[in-house]
Amino acid sequence: MQDQLEKALAWAMDNLKAEYIELRYENVKKNTLELKDGTFTTFTGKTQRGVAIRVLADGAWGFSSTNRLENLKKAIEEAYKIAKAVASARKEKIQLAEIKTYEDFVKSKMKIKPFEVDIEEKVDHLRSLEKLLKEDKAVKSSWLRYEDASGEKILLTNEGTNIKWELNYVWQYVWATGKEGDKLAAARDEVGAVEYGWELFKEREPNEEVAKRVIRKVHAQLNGVAPKRGEFPIVAGPIIVGIIAHEALGHLAEADLTINSPFKELIGKQIAPEYVTMSERIVDGGFGNDKYDDEGVKVKDIHIIENGILKEIMLNREYAHKWNLSPNGHARAENYTYPPIIRMRNTIFEPRDWSLEEMIEDIKFGYYVVDFRGGQAQLNSSFQVGVQEGYMIENGEITKSIRDTSISGIAIEALKKISAVGKDFGLEMGRCGKGQTAFVSSGGPHMRFDGGIIIG
Amino acid sequence: MEELIRYGEKLFDEIEIAVYRNRDVGIHIELNEVSTSAVRQRTVTIVRGIKDKRLGLAIIDSEDKDEIRRAIDEAYKMAKLNNKDEKWKTLPKPGKYKKPPKFDKALKEVSSDYFVELAKRGIELSLEKDKNLIVAGGGGGAEWIESLILNSHGVEISQEGGGAYFYLGFIGRKESLVTPMIFDVDARRNLNLDVENIVENLAQKVKWAYKVEKSRTEEAKVIVEPYALASLLHFALFPAFSGEKLIKQTTPLANKVGEQVFNELLTIYDDPFHELSLKPVIADDEGVPTRKNALIENGTFKGFLWDNYWANVYGTESTGNGIRNSSTGGISIGMHSVVIKNGKESLEELIADIEHGYLVNGFQGAHSSNPDNGNFAVVANPAYLIENGEIKGSTVFMMSGNVYELLKNIYAVSKEQKVVPFYGTTISPSMAFENVRIAGK
Repeated sequence: MQDQLEKALAWAMDNLKAEYIELRYENVKKNTLELKDGTFTTFTGKTQRGVAIRVLADGAWGFSSTNRLENLKKAIEEAYKIAKAVASARKEKIQLAEIKTYEDFVKSKMKIKPFEVDIEEKVDHLRSLEKLLKEDKAVKSSWLRYEDASGEKILLTNEGTNIKWELNYVWQYVWATGKEGDKLAAARDEVGAVEYGWELFKEREPNEEVAKRVIRKVHAQLNGVAPKRGEFPIVAGPIIVGIIAHEALGHLAEADLTINSPFKELIGKQIAPEYVTMSERIVDGGFGNDKYDDEGVKVKDIHIIENGILKEIMLNREYAHKWNLSPNGHARAENYTYPPIIRMRNTIFEPRDWSLEEMIEDIKFGYYVVDFRGGQAQLNSSFQVGVQEGYMIENGEITKSIRDTSISGIAIEALKKISAVGKDFGLEMGRCGKGQTAFVSSGGPHMRFDGGIIIG
Repeated sequence: MEELIRYGEKLFDEIEIAVYRNRDVGIHIELNEVSTSAVRQRTVTIVRGIKDKRLGLAIIDSEDKDEIRRAIDEAYKMAKLNNKDEKWKTLPKPGKYKKPPKFDKALKEVSSDYFVELAKRGIELSLEKDKNLIVAGGGGGAEWIESLILNSHGVEISQEGGGAYFYLGFIGRKESLVTPMIFDVDARRNLNLDVENIVENLAQKVKWAYKVEKSRTEEAKVIVEPYALASLLHFALFPAFSGEKLIKQTTPLANKVGEQVFNELLTIYDDPFHELSLKPVIADDEGVPTRKNALIENGTFKGFLWDNYWANVYGTESTGNGIRNSSTGGISIGMHSVVIKNGKESLEELIADIEHGYLVNGFQGAHSSNPDNGNFAVVANPAYLIENGEIKGSTVFMMSGNVYELLKNIYAVSKEQKVVPFYGTTISPSMAFENVRIAGK
């Protein structure tokens, strides 16, 4: 395939007057299993193969994708043609920041790659997880989804980028419904990895741990009381801290969105106490880890907030040029049917020095929020996070659990109210939707907010 | 394809082959400019086979006959590894289909240049209307899908059709005030997209949002506009219509057929043949004929939706609601085109009748709702304060509760309906609720 792509690129370079030509080929085999209450409703072997073509001509983008590989030249021409048509409608020409190009082979770091594991073992794994869940009398229904992928990705550009990746991931999602009397409750749990393979389920996320977590969440809701509405001290666990980092702040630091957000005017300014640092970086086990992005740019760690000061944002080559900055490896595409756009990878708050006990000991009345179900933010950093596991804090102690609720606030206001940053660290795996899906993770330590967040 | 079914029958007891050919063109708008134009072509073939009650699926990015043959082998390999599903009965048998609907054939060939022109016009019109606004986002495009579903029981149905959409997202800036991003979209089965109406509508909303008003913590009248209503119901209510959830007793609607569960002003159908439907399919993804299914009529719950599998398990017939997940190949119960019946008054009249209340354009966090019990806790944003029948300015508040309780408190439904092309398609009016508990900000 490499040959065919290189020939097509050479042809395009000879025949088209384009500033930039990019071919991204993908050939991936996937296993998808869904186990719903004892039955595998999905038991799928999937092959996904095609080419994404991006052309910058006369300062405008054209994109095409095809899985008819025999039509490659035609698809390149098509991308070129539509780029020219857009160019005629634009006032400002798009330019790309200069980059160092790489020729590289990115080898998978997985110990046990998904295709090395027999499907029987994957089946047994899910069955055993289901059994563990159903051992709890309150769990009435469970839905387990599993997907893995093994394959390759090749990126070629007219500038000399020539990178080939071994492309692998594993992913698992649990949805459990609990019932007691008339009360119904639902809990979700998601794990995944791109650098750990099947060992993820053996070493880091064994079934016993996952089942324990899900059952705890179901019971917390079934026994939960309705929270009081209002603004109280909130202690947020790593998963909630992570979703705030991702939804309410991370998106504002994606350069294409920064431009319309309050962050635009705040870069270089103190927006949080000096003990608050939020990064976008490679993390052990991070679901968004990679060596290069889909423009062939090396992925760099950045500090969005460093010691309370808003510092860096996520860039692709186009926005790096606009802002006169260096691209930092955040252009990502879901698959060959999409062009790369600016995305997060692993968005986290950095730990400091508090223990959870110290954080709650002087709270007379407040809430401890642990896990979420869904979250969303507006560009003004107004956010909403559904809480699927949370507890009351009364006189310095964690007491009753609370049922379905949500927390909301304006993140740039809430940041100022952070009064303690924990010394622990936790990470949550997830998928982010911004027109395309991307594997991401988010997390941090426990953190305390004295105001700025409304519950209920 | 026939010979491929024959080939599959040698391996499987039953086999189904589904081919989807998809072409879409589209453009994106960023910061008052067209940013990208795209054309995408994809063909996906999905093989579903059953041997000794064992299910196997294979998906390939191709419709080449040799590759489909290999996919059948792959599905067979998967089936052999799968466990027996004792509940499995059979794939669907042939049914009688309605006449295929008419489509604007221009959708099939339209070039992205068409949308570049629409975008140019949309951006120009917007900036003429209000120099303080930014067309922060937007896009437009068209999709054409050809599908073929056949199985070893003689089902053979091919369909084609498509739709087009155009949307804009505005942000207004005045001095230090930045409004939230406000969206509007037009989606239809032809290319006559109404850009002017989108611009008009959005410019009005941004104008309202230049003034910010506080909301109170109170019980108030709230009018929920189509996007907000569709998003909330999609996550908090619609999953409860699934027959699978009836079997598993995880729907609050279990044992409620024929009961008055909601306010009588609420009527909901799943109706692929509605004139505004974007996907007027005559067969679902397993080749079962589709029909108009009544879900709620004047507040009374009428019945559940079924695909072939769960209908067989329950001993009823599929309602034509088998929807395929294109990434996993699996079939589950879903909806084609949800239609929420409209009412008599105009939205303008509904607003004019309110002394003190709110208008909600969008909910943040509808997807965090709990579909198993209908609990929700969302942020109304963008939202507007209404005083003495007039919009006073934009506001933000939290609204939490239970969707089954909320839907008892409807007091009026607007006569205008809008096509909401997110999360499937919902054709929805605005709905006015009374005694809604909100937490102001």
